[in-house]
Amino acid sequence: MTEEKRPTLEEVKAFIGKKKEETLEIDKSMIRLFCQCIGDPNPKWQDTAPPGLVTTAMISGGALAIEVPRPYKRSVAAGAEWEFHKTIKPGDAITTTHEFAEVQDRSSEKGPRVLLIYKSTHRDQKGDVVAVSTNSIMSY
Amino acid sequence: MAQLYYEDVQEGSEIPTLEKLPTTRTLVMWAGASGDFFELHYDKDFANSMGFPKVLVHGRLEAAFLTQMLTDWIGDRGELRKLTVQYRGNAFPGDTLLCKGKVTKKYVEGGESLVECEIWVENPAGQRITPGSAVVALPTKGS
Repeated sequence: MTEEKRPTLEEVKAFIGKKKEETLEIDKSMIRLFCQCIGDPNPKWQDTAPPGLVTTAMISGGALAIEVPRPYKRSVAAGAEWEFHKTIKPGDAITTTHEFAEVQDRSSEKGPRVLLIYKSTHRDQKGDVVAVSTNSIMSY
Repeated sequence: MAQLYYEDVQEGSEIPTLEKLPTTRTLVMWAGASGDFFELHYDKDFANSMGFPKVLVHGRLEAAFLTQMLTDWIGDRGELRKLTVQYRGNAFPGDTLLCKGKVTKKYVEGGESLVECEIWVENPAGQRITPGSAVVALPTKGS
């Protein structure tokens, strides 16, 4: 079996700055399904979206769809960070700009490994930033 | 739900534990509700082919559980400002997961009363599979 050709770190770094944009309209049924799934009966979420909605792939996971070649064979979600700036309400249209932001070499005696970091900025229809998400993939 | 005030918390204060029992049904619901259709979370053969004995609970679902633990704790007038998680271990459907946390720091900045917390999801073996941190803003008494 031939080994699949893998890009060098420099070739991966050339993808830094690559962007993708998408818009999602938030409606009450999305919020209701989210709350039913996690089991959150808080009545506050009848009129506003819980901050956890931003953790969903439909809002902050699209960054990972930016095509960036992985330098090593295996990869795993390493972590994430969400900053919440403004409450999302039903009827808001959230436009997200995802960007492949950074490559961090985390190689050690355990072997070569690298963190691929993606940043997503979520804005509402007024242009206000409602949240900023960071997602990290470990390639090893 | 009782309102939590800045004056109510001290360094070391514990956040009330939130218990969750995600099942395969929960994972299917999460796939649909969140838009994450990665087969690792609902197709056992696929999970086996990746070396896992069962399908895995989504890390983002664990993060969502942690946001609920925090919003339950801070009450209607509290605001979640930041959540950070690291995916260190795996959870499987049928595992009882405990969402826990405690206050590490409280401070006033820019006129806001902020509280930093250490948070984590604990698996049935007592391991912190998804550790992280959070920042919340709380109202002050009389405000």
